[in-house]
Amino acid sequence: MLKGSLRKLLNALLLMIAVLVLNFTLIHIAPGDPVEALVGEMGGATPELIAELRSRFGLDQPLYVQLGTYLGRIAQGDFGHSLYYDQPVTALIAERIGPTILLVTTALFSAIALGTVLGVFSAQRRRSVLSHLVTVISLAGFSAPVFWVGIMLILLLSVSVPLLPISGMSSADSAASGLFYILDVLHHLVLPALTLALIYLAFYSRLSRASMLEVLGSDYIRTARAKGLPKRMVIYKHALRNAILPVVTFAGLQFGQVISGAVLVETVFAWPGLGTLAFESILRRDTPTLLGILFFSAVMVVVMNLVTDVVYRRVDPRIKAR
Amino acid sequence: MLERLARRLTSAAPIALAAAIGLAPIAQADPKDGGTLTTFTSGYRTLNPAVQSGAATGAPGSQIFAGLVTVGKDYVVQPYLADAWQVSDDQLTVTFDLVGGAKFHDGQPITGEDVKFSLETVRANHPFGSAMFGNVESIEVPAPDKVVLHLAKPVPGLLYSLQPLLMPILPKHVYGDGQDMKTHPRNMENVVGSGPFKVEENNPAERLVLVKNQDFFLKGKPHLDKIVYPMVKDPLTRVLMLEKGEIDYAPFAGIRPNDASRLEKAKGAHVTTDGYEAIGYVHYLELNLRNEPFSKREVREALAHAIDTGFLAKVIFGGRTVPGTGPLHTGNPFYSADVPTYEPDMDKAAAMLDAAGYPVGADGSRFSFVLDVPSWAPAAHVPMAEYIQAQLAKLKINVELRKAPDFGTWVKRVSSWDYEATMNGSFNYPDPTIGVHRHFDCDNIKNVIWSNTQGYCNPEVDTLLGAAAVETDMAKRKALYADIQRKVQEDLVFIYMPQDYSATVYSDGVANLPDSPFGALSPFYDVYLDK
Repeated sequence: MLKGSLRKLLNALLLMIAVLVLNFTLIHIAPGDPVEALVGEMGGATPELIAELRSRFGLDQPLYVQLGTYLGRIAQGDFGHSLYYDQPVTALIAERIGPTILLVTTALFSAIALGTVLGVFSAQRRRSVLSHLVTVISLAGFSAPVFWVGIMLILLLSVSVPLLPISGMSSADSAASGLFYILDVLHHLVLPALTLALIYLAFYSRLSRASMLEVLGSDYIRTARAKGLPKRMVIYKHALRNAILPVVTFAGLQFGQVISGAVLVETVFAWPGLGTLAFESILRRDTPTLLGILFFSAVMVVVMNLVTDVVYRRVDPRIKAR
Repeated sequence: MLERLARRLTSAAPIALAAAIGLAPIAQADPKDGGTLTTFTSGYRTLNPAVQSGAATGAPGSQIFAGLVTVGKDYVVQPYLADAWQVSDDQLTVTFDLVGGAKFHDGQPITGEDVKFSLETVRANHPFGSAMFGNVESIEVPAPDKVVLHLAKPVPGLLYSLQPLLMPILPKHVYGDGQDMKTHPRNMENVVGSGPFKVEENNPAERLVLVKNQDFFLKGKPHLDKIVYPMVKDPLTRVLMLEKGEIDYAPFAGIRPNDASRLEKAKGAHVTTDGYEAIGYVHYLELNLRNEPFSKREVREALAHAIDTGFLAKVIFGGRTVPGTGPLHTGNPFYSADVPTYEPDMDKAAAMLDAAGYPVGADGSRFSFVLDVPSWAPAAHVPMAEYIQAQLAKLKINVELRKAPDFGTWVKRVSSWDYEATMNGSFNYPDPTIGVHRHFDCDNIKNVIWSNTQGYCNPEVDTLLGAAAVETDMAKRKALYADIQRKVQEDLVFIYMPQDYSATVYSDGVANLPDSPFGALSPFYDVYLDK
């Protein structure tokens, strides 16, 4: 058991180092120069200033020297300074991660809960109107670009029926604090979370419906029914516990990819999260920030995989027994 | 007081147009105090305009920091921190008198030493620092309320460079600690300014909030209690916020012509193109003049005849702008329409290419080239590039469009001269010496973006530029710039596209907005809400 855990940890560590080296190399061999981007944003600069900036950021060194310096710093917990914001990358990530986690968890958990219910329900009544409706909504959710859904929801719920604010995480001119601040944030959260949830909802309702249909057709369900068990027990105790396994797997994986999921939604709704920071860092060639976010993202994936393993064991006793 | 000021000002020898000094605008009827003006930001890396050019920093920066002067309607320079100034007869000494009792946001007095420190800081750190103040030989502070600039040569555009956008008055006691100004922590944290508004909240991820400076040195101003800049990156979201009234004032919003039509119909919204004249945003097709075929003027002229900029102005910009005719924006005081024009004529273009040694070859084409398309301003650059590609295909010229994935990639290609042709655009800025000379000066052929990257050098133009840079007689200076515009259009250094469409949207009740050609980059101490 202990040996297995140690092996997993070692694997995770090696994976992290590989991610660091790969990200660093890929970003540095891609075209574009962070100093040129910075200078362009400043409105131009003299060749002397460009040389000074390049030297200050260590970009005048050979790539392998830069990589060595970078790995050495990471080992000491130093992820460097943002070239654009001139702030420690860890501080920037810490500032932005809260809003992203709030947005993604709200959207993901709502979508999992509602998607599973809809999927289970439509699997039971395969040819009902509701089942077809769930299929249509899911397909629409899959196909519609997330930014388009966001804009449509703004038009509907902010412009036509002015119920919700269009952008930001809190009201700019309010001096709200405590409970009022929380309510203000929740008010701002509804639209972006709803937009993101609609995409996830499509996915989870399809997934749970397919999984449920497969389980409902299996022998042990037929046996349970033949035994005369109540329908509720057959569905929720016997079928759902098995049907939910793929949902757990995908939820774990998706949670690890919080940033990629949130980029467009955060941009449309001006949500001050990590997604927009990642997007801006790519455009600005803010390499240290981008590397920091990518590393953080990789850590999230690895951690969520481990968490999914644990949850899986709880949900599926067969794995625990193995 | 006004009489004394007027006497002092009018007795001073003028510094060309900049010294066509007027008095402060007559106060509007009963401005109302109070209220919050909500505008927006699309992101900024610093709040200190001394180290950063552009609107993202300039718009809030001009509220946080004061300047020696400000620029009003029709480019008239107006008193600000300096309530009077005198220029010596030889135009080489300018003496500024500062208003009494002015204080920074932390309560420390603003003195001539701060002005000196600010000018030196800008000269060393601003992208245009040396262009603006390279001829300032020394700065003398004979008294706390007096500053004297000694110039090596007359600088006709000097006063324009002394507005807060370009030379913010910085507190020496905060910034003079020897730290690098470009990365000074106080550029973003606990910012101590000198202007009408103080920083209350600075969270670049979410918003910037400025509040009224109660101790502002212009008594009774500003009128607004707050200016809020929520961070909104997506232009479509901005349009929706404007429609809903969540934003009161949106300059530099990247409003497209079709959005403008939509917003003009929205209740309580107004759209104006005023306030962009001084920035003077011009688009052009830049050709690398070092190599054939673009080193041949006839080829460039053929391209100019093939590209119908009137069509582009009509289709891409919805007829809301005009074709560019040269390096200067039509709103620039030195603009001249007396330049050679190249009417759309495909037959003429084809004949010129034949004569230049580029007939249609056996492979069915004359020549091929790569046209770089920058990642910035895609709404303008991409359709213009696609139109050029289609037009030149009719002349049997193969154009491959290379869209830059990001800003840095495009900058790298152009500034290292590693390109054949690129869509480009730049700002005139307050004086041609800053925004225009850089593209044509022979000694500015550098590996720096928005310098003379195309590699143009005409000694005759160089001489004219040198003369215009120091000419203090407005009429003579205008004539020199007219010659320059005519000459560079004869040489077809660039092929000018339509001027940019820049619009500001504001809602009913936002009153007394700056009527300066610098628009949103001017101080807002006179703005009030009449709601």
